[in-house]
Amino acid sequence: MRIFWELTKTSLQRHLTYRAATIAGLVTNFFFGILRAAIFVALYDQQAEVGGLSLQGAITFAALAQAFIGYLSLFSWFELMNSVYTGDISSDLLKPMNYFAFWLAQDLGRALVNLLLRGLVLMAGYALIFDLIWPKSILQMLAVLVAIAFSWLLSFAWRFLINLSALWTPNARGILRFFFVFSWFFSGFLMPLRLYPDWVQSISRFTPFPHMLNSVVEIYLNMLSGPEVLLTLLAQLLWATILIAAGQFVLRAGVRRLVILGG
Amino acid sequence: MKHALNLYRRLLGVQIRSQMQYRASFALELVGTGLIALFEYASLALVFERFDNLGGWTLGQVAFLYDMAEFSFGIMDMIFAGFDPSLFGQNVRRGTFDQLLLRPVNISVQVLGSEFTLRRIGKIIVGAGIFASALALNPVAWTPPKALLATLMAVSQVAFFGGLFIIGATITFWTVESIEVVNIFTYGGNYMISHPMHIFPAGLRQFFTYIIPAIFLAYYPALYILELPDPFRLPAFAPWLAPLAGLSVLMAALAFWRFGIRYYQSTGT
Repeated sequence: MRIFWELTKTSLQRHLTYRAATIAGLVTNFFFGILRAAIFVALYDQQAEVGGLSLQGAITFAALAQAFIGYLSLFSWFELMNSVYTGDISSDLLKPMNYFAFWLAQDLGRALVNLLLRGLVLMAGYALIFDLIWPKSILQMLAVLVAIAFSWLLSFAWRFLINLSALWTPNARGILRFFFVFSWFFSGFLMPLRLYPDWVQSISRFTPFPHMLNSVVEIYLNMLSGPEVLLTLLAQLLWATILIAAGQFVLRAGVRRLVILGG
Repeated sequence: MKHALNLYRRLLGVQIRSQMQYRASFALELVGTGLIALFEYASLALVFERFDNLGGWTLGQVAFLYDMAEFSFGIMDMIFAGFDPSLFGQNVRRGTFDQLLLRPVNISVQVLGSEFTLRRIGKIIVGAGIFASALALNPVAWTPPKALLATLMAVSQVAFFGGLFIIGATITFWTVESIEVVNIFTYGGNYMISHPMHIFPAGLRQFFTYIIPAIFLAYYPALYILELPDPFRLPAFAPWLAPLAGLSVLMAALAFWRFGIRYYQSTGT
C-alpha cells in the first residue's frame, strides 16, 4: 500500500509541473463550455423544463461536463498503450505490485491534479458568468463527492481495459478512439442523456458510461431521490468491479502472448 | 512549380502506400473517424425530438451548416495534416523539421506532403451523408448562384481552416510546445460555424466576425442559400465575402509562415 501512495505522490508532483498544459486546457475547456451553454439557451427558448431538466440545470451540466474532461481524461488516454509499444510494460510487469494498481496509483495523481487545478477553477470561472446550481445540503454534497470518486474508478477501469488492446495490435490508437466516442455519447458528455429520445436512454442503461458523468451530474442537480442516489452509487461500484475483473482477465490473456522486442 | 507538384505527388504516394500497409487497421480507423463524426452529429440531431428548433432554425437548416463545416474540416484536416499544430510541434521539438530544412526542396511542399491522413475520408463521407439528409429535410430551391455559393463555401472553409493550422504550426517555432489555445480557433471556430451564429454571445460573435471572419464562411452563405432573413442587417453582398474571408486568412497564414521560417532557430535536438 505504501508503494501505491508513493506512486500517486510522484505522479501528482509530475502533473503539477505541467503548468502550461493546465492553463491551455483550462482556457479551451472554458471556451467550449460557454459555447455549449449558448446552445442550451437557444434550444430551451423560454421553455422552463425539458425532460425533467431545467435550463439552469442544463447550463450547470455543460459547466460540469467541461470540468470533468481533465479529471476523467475524457478525450483520450494512451499511456498504457504507449508503454506496450515502447516496451516499458516488461519492466512494469516485473514490479512487485499488481499491474492494475500500478497504473491506478499513477492515474489517481493525475486525476487529483486535474480535479483541483482544472475542475474547481473551471467551476469558479463559470460561477462568475452563469447562474449555476449548487448542492443544497451537506448530505447531498457528500453523495456528490462519493459519486465523483466512483466515477474516476469506473472511468479508469474502462480506460485500462481498452488500452490493453495494444497487446494484440500494433496500432491500437484507432480502436481506442472508437471506444472513446461511445463514452462521449453515452456518458452524457455531448448532451445530457435526459434530452435524448427514450430509446437512446434505454440503450445507455445497458452500458457503464452514464455512471461516469451523467449520474454524477444528476445527483449534483438534485434530480434523484434518496434511494435512487444509493442505487446509482451501487451501480457505479458494480460496473467498476465488472470492468476491473474484465481487465484482469484480458491482461492475463494478453501477457501470455506478449513479445517484447529487445533494443 | 512543376517540380514542386511532382514532388508533392510522390510524397502523397508514399503516405498513401504506408497507410494502406495495415489494411484492417486502416479500415478500423476509417470507420472510427466516421463514427466520431456521426455520434457528434447524432447528439445534436436527436435532441431535436424534444426541442423543435435551435434559435429558430429547423434541424434541416442547422444540418446544412453543420455538414458543410464537417465536410470542409475533414478535407482540410486530410490535406493540411502536416501543419496540424500538435503534430508539427512534435517535429520542431524532435528536430525532424530541421531535417526537412536541409533538403534542397521547397519546405512548404515537404511539410504539406509529410502527412496525409486518409482516415479523414470517414469524416468526409459522413459530412456528405448529413448534407444529403439536410437537403431531404429542408429542400433548397437551387439556382446557379446558390450552387456556386455552396461550392465557394466549402472551398473557402478549407482555405480558412488550413490557414489556421499553418498559423498554429508557425507559432510552435517560438513556443516549441504546441499550444492548445490554438484549438479555440480551429476546433472552436469549427464548432461555432457548425451552428447558427446568432445564438452565441455578442462578444464572441463579433470576434468571429471582425477579427476572425468566420461568420462569412458559413452563416452568411447559409442565410442566402436557405433564404433566411439576416438578423444583423449586413449589406446584401455579405454572403459573397466567403472566398475573400477564406483566402485572406490563408494568405496571411502563408506570409506568417514564411516570416517564421526566416527567423526559425532550431531547438538543437
